[in-house]
Amino acid sequence: MMGPGLSADLCIKCNICTASCPVAAVTDLFPGPKAVGPQAERFRHPALPSADASVTWCSGCGTCSRVCPHGVQVTEMNIQAKAKLAAQRGIPLRDHLIARPDLLGKLGGPIAPVANFVLALEPVRWVLEKTAGIARHGPLPLFASRPLRKRLSRLLASKPPEGAVSDTVAYFHGCSANYFEPSLGELTVRILELIGYRVILPPQGCCGLPLESNGLFAAARRYGRYNVSSLAPFAQVGIPIVGTSTSCTLALKHDYRAILGMGGENVEAVAHGVYDIFEFLALRHVDKLRDLVCRPVRMRALYHAPCQLRSHRIGMPAFGILKGIPELSLALSESECCGVAGTYGMKAEKASVAMAVGRSLFTQARESGAQVVISDSETCRWWIAKHTGLAAVHPIEVLAHSLEGLVKEQDGTRW
Amino acid sequence: MAEIVIVGRGLAGLTAAALAGSSRSGKVTVIAQGKGGLSLSHGCFGVWDAPVPLSALDDLPKTHPYSLIGIASLQQGTERILDLLKAFGLEYSGSFAHNLRLPTGLGSVCRPAFAPMPLASGDLQNAAPFKVAGFEGFRDFHPEIIAANLKQMGAQAEDAILLPMISPPKHRDAYSTDLAALFDDSSWLEETARAWKPRIGSAKRLAVPAVIGLARAEQSMELLQERLGISVFEIPTLPPSIPGLRLERALRSACLSSGVSFIDGAAAVGLVDGRSDGRRVAGLVAQTAGGPREVRSDSVILATGGILNGGLVARPDGHVQESVFDLPVIHTPQRSSWTDSNPWSSQPYSRFGVRVNERMQPVGSDGRPMFENLYAIGGLLADADRSHEGSRQGIDIGTAYRAIQVILS
Repeated sequence: MMGPGLSADLCIKCNICTASCPVAAVTDLFPGPKAVGPQAERFRHPALPSADASVTWCSGCGTCSRVCPHGVQVTEMNIQAKAKLAAQRGIPLRDHLIARPDLLGKLGGPIAPVANFVLALEPVRWVLEKTAGIARHGPLPLFASRPLRKRLSRLLASKPPEGAVSDTVAYFHGCSANYFEPSLGELTVRILELIGYRVILPPQGCCGLPLESNGLFAAARRYGRYNVSSLAPFAQVGIPIVGTSTSCTLALKHDYRAILGMGGENVEAVAHGVYDIFEFLALRHVDKLRDLVCRPVRMRALYHAPCQLRSHRIGMPAFGILKGIPELSLALSESECCGVAGTYGMKAEKASVAMAVGRSLFTQARESGAQVVISDSETCRWWIAKHTGLAAVHPIEVLAHSLEGLVKEQDGTRW
Repeated sequence: MAEIVIVGRGLAGLTAAALAGSSRSGKVTVIAQGKGGLSLSHGCFGVWDAPVPLSALDDLPKTHPYSLIGIASLQQGTERILDLLKAFGLEYSGSFAHNLRLPTGLGSVCRPAFAPMPLASGDLQNAAPFKVAGFEGFRDFHPEIIAANLKQMGAQAEDAILLPMISPPKHRDAYSTDLAALFDDSSWLEETARAWKPRIGSAKRLAVPAVIGLARAEQSMELLQERLGISVFEIPTLPPSIPGLRLERALRSACLSSGVSFIDGAAAVGLVDGRSDGRRVAGLVAQTAGGPREVRSDSVILATGGILNGGLVARPDGHVQESVFDLPVIHTPQRSSWTDSNPWSSQPYSRFGVRVNERMQPVGSDGRPMFENLYAIGGLLADADRSHEGSRQGIDIGTAYRAIQVILS
């Protein structure tokens, strides 16, 4: 594949990316993807410092690359340019911190009740904003006391099982389902088991995407190499690797190769073998799900496809499957991005732009009368819940309610 | 339930999807490598660049897309899509009886059969004089050039004026999309109208850049005219072109509301049904972020466009390839014969493309369909120079309508 920088030559300056960019639409601080991408790339010399810092306003949502009709890797180019600028200017401690959800999870999990209580205090958030630059209104997830890998330790497997593996699926839960939302991980496993799969949890670390988007490429590659070496044996024998975090799965599929410059047989095998959970269900089990989905889910919901999921270039498989649930009234979000774009909205200096990007989604959620927002990405869910006051859930949670016997009434619901 | 997959989301692809979706006859999926070029479009529908558009269509060669679909399909398809657009808040004006004469961003004349209301009301056949207004700091629209060129050809353009812009972008140039968003903010618009009122003098009509609102364009234009007390019409700007974006929004909304699904950003490679002895296509293989994924369907419509749009790929050796199924392409391999030395003449390369039959099925050199369930529409088709003929949108809409009619019958 042609590197992102060279793809600038494919640009014909049609401005389709600029017209679609959710950030350029709300702030004049950002000249737009074409200007900071294929246009500015001509003035970036590998050995010389970057001359213009306006690319730092790019949230990395990926819309520009997806709408480009000519194959210019605009986002990829801009994320690399941002990393170079970050290295040049020095990366603040804050960015090192918010880019390491696994570290935060390891530290916060054991003291979950205390950590959750303290981090919910407004004065604490005020101090964090003033001292560290972590946006006061940026949502922080709640730590779970027992991580998923402890709860489901019976499913841990360091290598593929012997013999036939056609009924086996490997689950890449990522940091979020491990440390913050283990119940989502458990539901996912139960749904896959209901369909007839044997689910295993392969060894895995953080996907590295938050590190990458904060310019910490070397650290991101270390995680990347670890994940590729642990997952490749599964991919190579044809065991699908499914994930519930759209950012993790995007990193495994795309970013390792296209942004971090990793290559080789194992990287390719993993990229090809990774599926978003609903992509997997839609590809292989539409008929089976049609039979299983039977319980009505009586609510009004707004489905928002995260920008990261859109970058998978697979459409919106969850929306297609949820549409089959009886009595679920489902509207579709008209926004390309909710604004938070991973860690972008967590930064004090970016928070107002991120809010402005999200405004149209928040308004639609209010005006649609939705009781719940459904979104596949954890950072989107936390951000949308914080700014709409509505519950925000993973589509798996909604699907689970429609499957007979999977969720007991007394389990309670988040909506 | 028949499944239709459409490749490409320009005017032809979105029209086909909206028509198929609104018939509610089965699952419709649109897959496209990028967004189609509607943000480069003036949003008008050109049928033929002659005073009476339909008069020219009788004498066309048999292989011209218009000859293949017939005038009835062109008219019915256009009526269907205009009704659909109206239902989604975009009203057009015009007729097949005679073309509009609309001013362009260069002050030349464009002759579409139909145009969105805010542009159509600038028809130069209306003799009432008008002023051409630009906005301070907006560099994608040049009122002096427009007014001077229009005057030169005898149009009733008075002088060019420059109107103030309240709270324009400070850190960079103002884009048409910035202005459209500002005009959709009614309090900003009220303030702007107050600032303009004393500056427009005695003008009875005002031509402005086509940026008066995007999401709420109809209300924004109405409010502006009411506050200024005169009639206002739009002239297209440099891209991003707001009238094209309004058209795209309306078509996409029409698609989504009828359950059409989109796979955005993925290139597609054709998939032939191995069990059919090569007579049928099985669908496509989508090039997703992870890897290739099959998208199976009962029929496939190619709306991938011509050389500039990715439907055709011109190789340095003069070979021209169709990008999804590698279909036969009508072309001449000598590159020197691709262009005419007079840039204003019809260009031979514009006629390159895939030849189809009356059912919009791509055909081989023997005139027989390549596949039973594969269709091609819009700019991918051979035997038309759409720029020169002024037939771009007519071919997109007419062939899209015809293909859907064939598939659903």
